[in-house]
Amino acid sequence: MLQRRLLCTKVAKPTTVQENAKPGLSKWGVKQVKKSNFAAAVEEIRTHITNSDYVAISLQKTGAYSSPWQKVLPFDTADTAYLKAKYAAERFQILQFALCPVSVDSSKLIAHPYNFHLFPRDEFKIGMPSYSFLCQSSYLTSMVQGGFDFNACIYDGISYLSRAQESAMKDRTGNSLPFSNAIQSPSPLAPTVADSIFVGRIKSRVTHWITACRDSKKTAEDALLSSLRKLVSGSELYGSRPCLSIDVCSDRQVKLVLEMLIDFDEVVPLLVPAKGGGTQAIRVVLTSSQEDKHIFKKELQNMEEEHSKRARGFREVIELLSTSQKPIVAHNSLNEFAFIHSKFLAQLPSTVDEFRHSLHLVFPHVYDINHLMEEIGCLRKGNDLPQDLLYLKRRFSGPIHMEIPQGAEQCEISSHGLDVLRISQIFAKLSSILKVGSYSLEADRSSFIRECYANIFNSHSASSEDPSVEDVKVWTKNSRRISSSNLVFLWGFQSGISASRLKSLLEGSHDVFTKEFDIRLVDRNCAIVIFWTSGFPERFLDVMTSGGISSESLKEMISEGVRAAGYSSYKRVCQWGLWEDNLADALDKSLEKTGELSEPDSNEDLPLVCWNNDAINLDDL
Amino acid sequence: MKKQLIIRGVPFLGTLRFPALWRSFCCCSSSSSSFAIKNVTKSNFDSSLYDLRFHVRDADFVAIDLEMTGITSAPWRDSFEFDRFDIRYLKVKDSAEKFAVVQFGVCPFRWDTQKQSFVAHPHNFYIFPRQEITGDIAPHEFLCQTASIDFLAKYQFDFNMCIREGYYCYVPGSIVRIYTIFYKKRPAISLTGFTSRQLRLIQWVIRNHFKDLLYVRASGHTSSPRHIIMYVESGKDRDLQLKEVKDCTKKDAETKIKAAIGFRHIIDLLSSEQKLIVGHNCFLDIAHIYKKFIGPLPSTSREYASSIQKYFPRILDTKVLLNANNFFQLILKKSSTSLSRAFALLCPHIASGVNTSELADKRRVKVEVQVDEKRSLNWNSGAKHEAGYDAFMTGCVFAQACSLLDIDFNNNLPAVHLASHDKLQKYINLLYLSWTNGDIIDLRTGESSAVSVGFNILKSRVEKVSFSNIVLLWGFPSQLKLSEIRECFSKAFGSNSVTSIHSVDQTAVFIQFNKAELVSHFLELKETLEQSNDPVLVLHPLAKILEGGCTRAADYEVYREICSSPISKVLFADQAEAVGINGKTKLPETVSVSNAEKQEEDAMRVPSDNGVQPDTADETAMDKLNTEELDSFCPLEAQLSK
Repeated sequence: MLQRRLLCTKVAKPTTVQENAKPGLSKWGVKQVKKSNFAAAVEEIRTHITNSDYVAISLQKTGAYSSPWQKVLPFDTADTAYLKAKYAAERFQILQFALCPVSVDSSKLIAHPYNFHLFPRDEFKIGMPSYSFLCQSSYLTSMVQGGFDFNACIYDGISYLSRAQESAMKDRTGNSLPFSNAIQSPSPLAPTVADSIFVGRIKSRVTHWITACRDSKKTAEDALLSSLRKLVSGSELYGSRPCLSIDVCSDRQVKLVLEMLIDFDEVVPLLVPAKGGGTQAIRVVLTSSQEDKHIFKKELQNMEEEHSKRARGFREVIELLSTSQKPIVAHNSLNEFAFIHSKFLAQLPSTVDEFRHSLHLVFPHVYDINHLMEEIGCLRKGNDLPQDLLYLKRRFSGPIHMEIPQGAEQCEISSHGLDVLRISQIFAKLSSILKVGSYSLEADRSSFIRECYANIFNSHSASSEDPSVEDVKVWTKNSRRISSSNLVFLWGFQSGISASRLKSLLEGSHDVFTKEFDIRLVDRNCAIVIFWTSGFPERFLDVMTSGGISSESLKEMISEGVRAAGYSSYKRVCQWGLWEDNLADALDKSLEKTGELSEPDSNEDLPLVCWNNDAINLDDL
Repeated sequence: MKKQLIIRGVPFLGTLRFPALWRSFCCCSSSSSSFAIKNVTKSNFDSSLYDLRFHVRDADFVAIDLEMTGITSAPWRDSFEFDRFDIRYLKVKDSAEKFAVVQFGVCPFRWDTQKQSFVAHPHNFYIFPRQEITGDIAPHEFLCQTASIDFLAKYQFDFNMCIREGYYCYVPGSIVRIYTIFYKKRPAISLTGFTSRQLRLIQWVIRNHFKDLLYVRASGHTSSPRHIIMYVESGKDRDLQLKEVKDCTKKDAETKIKAAIGFRHIIDLLSSEQKLIVGHNCFLDIAHIYKKFIGPLPSTSREYASSIQKYFPRILDTKVLLNANNFFQLILKKSSTSLSRAFALLCPHIASGVNTSELADKRRVKVEVQVDEKRSLNWNSGAKHEAGYDAFMTGCVFAQACSLLDIDFNNNLPAVHLASHDKLQKYINLLYLSWTNGDIIDLRTGESSAVSVGFNILKSRVEKVSFSNIVLLWGFPSQLKLSEIRECFSKAFGSNSVTSIHSVDQTAVFIQFNKAELVSHFLELKETLEQSNDPVLVLHPLAKILEGGCTRAADYEVYREICSSPISKVLFADQAEAVGINGKTKLPETVSVSNAEKQEEDAMRVPSDNGVQPDTADETAMDKLNTEELDSFCPLEAQLSK
């Protein structure tokens, strides 16, 4: 038993931490929830969510992206950013789900942080929720260094099924679930002779069986006789009630049997699903009276409820969040919600619009810390939550007290999932700065936050958990919005060359490089060229494909294998899922495939992208 | 604390940190003693490796076993009856490429003539692929199969230990990147708890205002980078220091690489000493070793086999040995040849510490286990599915089997002789390519081996599979049952046209026709039906299958193409689409290469030896139902619990 219980620090008094204190949040604790204390925690959190003004969430995953260019980059549009997030969400796994319902009491925040440990255990042996998942070893190593307990997570993590999976399971598992609505619909086909013979046969069998059951109750039989009788009539017991299985071989027969059974007052039909879907048999359960029938139906309902509760597992919490309609605050909301959608709702749709729509139905109010930070003019580099907190504290006065009431219950408290508290705090601060919220409780809760900030996915934000993000790049303030048609991808040059070197090679090599342009490396083998003059990208691409080059240096580069492609090729890379390790290879494949399809490169309306000068600077790699 | 003894499967004992106390406890126990296995992690790797070298060198054979994070990357990647030999290899290849090894059990066995017993040194290596060493820019990734992880958890696998302490797994061919490493013989201050912005500021201030200070970012062995400001005397010294730091970094990186290939030393040793490697159902294990420590897996089994023979010329699979010999079948009472079962039946004196009878005892091979200073003749750590212990069990089974084959250990040493012993020749270098199918690969040729030795069990289930008669169908309406599909085909092509039908997963089936022509016939017909707009075609018997317009079909070679793709979607239909087999129908092309191969394969089919007709074969098999066959119904467990 390797389960550790060392971290059971019990804090009796509520811990009040001033915002002005160290941003390390060392005094704060987060309740750790595992399989063993899940049921109790759900009950607790239910009331906390109902009483909250907003709920902050934060996820811990097994990885973020497989190669540098696959993370969401500044030049990504909403589409490509979503496709990247989708690709990650479908492969990696959530191991921790921290959430923190926060209620605002005058100038005090009352927070109830919980950290749920998840593991996609296949509780029902049906290959769900997840057949396999990908891990990034650097991620796991840094997690374990941060004290993450993988044993606890894997041994005692909470499993779950997504909404889609649960309904799929209902169709597939061999559980006899009570029959609900098929009886109502009248059979579309006129009864045939075969049908009436079938019905007649079954009817007499059921009648006979019921009489036999009633008889055997009256007279006490010896064991042998009763077992013989059972054998002959095919009677079994369902719980304490007698039941009879009727084999069926088509949906039509199912319908016929069910219609026939309506005439019998005291029986309850149950469907026995076949292995490959459909129905294999109908189990007829005999109840002793109308009253007993109701009791039985109730029992079945409870059983089903219990079963689906077990199947839902952690999704129970997601459903609570959804039904509460509370504002949900996250950082990197696109990534986080792509994961949430794919694990707890359904498979991710193929476009960002469908995704937005689908998510909006479940979570109507989503706030993104990153986006709000930009609103106040804080150009963030990376996703350093403590740093954000520090920044806000310095620039905007007015302390916010945060209080974490501790229950008396036995619950492991530790520092895992602290980010969720930081998010809560940053959001509180931001909403006061942006005047999106009113801290008076008298105010109408629904207008707590102005809608305009909700549901904006910050497309250009990298993942914060990535340990390899090096905070050495200098943020410059000239963020400009340019059309993505001004961007050209360039690859095939010497691997590991610096952007400035590449720029000097290109400078003056052609007319298009005489005016202002910028160049940034996307990864070791691929760069992005930004033409500030419109029309130049097209000219450049023309030159690259048709030849007719005046300059020697450019000719030389092309002969060395340098290639170029416009933004549409990049979009196709994401759409077609050409997730190669190097963007250069992916672009090559994209061009190849485009050639195969030989579609005329229609003038797609290329959206605007936000160009920040920092791009992705891999010069220092 | 150098050694941590963690006794798994003995919950009440928990973690013992006092070997002395433990030993005194051992003395009292008369039956099987269970001191902990030798766990090797980062902290004790060097010393362990040093010892192990000698043990391997002296060993007569070395038993191995691996624990991985998964077996199949998708349900349809499981082994099927309709998998051709080359496809089985592709499936194993896929597994070895996607999953990680988390434990490596090595157990050298040496015959001690004086003691008349084997001396075994079980080692349990925790392994975890580490990016900080290989320094790849692209993060190192591996797949986990949920069921396998859960399985490991069931046997109390310590994931924390593995990730925190697991030894490096060297990924061949990766670029080494140098990080600065801390260096301080100088007064220095370490900066912790600053935000990255503050650190940048500090860095800037130091660079511009303090000529005698040097800002160094140091990366520790395990910890995240440390930021250090060190004192330097002058500009010259500063340059010197910088250089030194860099050199030190380089040196450090070198030692890291050395350490990283550390585990490979063991592989190299096994290879250079040409030791007899013993494993239980170890084809996948060997493939993992090849992928992780030698190089990328070749695309065909033939190339792979010839390549592996260069490194490990002598491999013996105890599962092959036990199944091939009628005598062992008798002892095992024709029951399962799973490792733990074989161990319990062949080596009860070790497994339970009970000596059955004096008479039987004569042929019992004694195995003395040595872990550091501790020795025992009936050691039992009780931790099944721990690589080190599994390797030990495998070795014991092998030793006992040799003894039962009347191999005299006293005469046949040194080691090479054991491997070339006449009585073992017909088993050596034969591995189960797929246990479920009883398909055996001969590593000397890379070909399927229909072996002369009496592989008798389960053969009744091997029916005639003619791959050129097979059509693969996927994307059909999901509610269709196998019987319904069969019915459609019978209506369309005649009642006997379909020999058998086999489900790949819920989205795909194999259909075996009785004639090869029917394959192309069907594919053409399907295309015509799809292109035609004639409303009458709704009444065509195949219309039911084509309903929905997503039904795809292809011949067997396309199946190979799909299996060889690195993509792994959970559902076969999704996989086919992802691989790019989108065309409504893939017409069979004249396959130039594999025609000859195909005929060869077809010729090599093992006829069902009791003349069971395909239709009734299932029932017969059910009659014979034993644990092994139950295993085969849940192949994952079967593989894991080999």
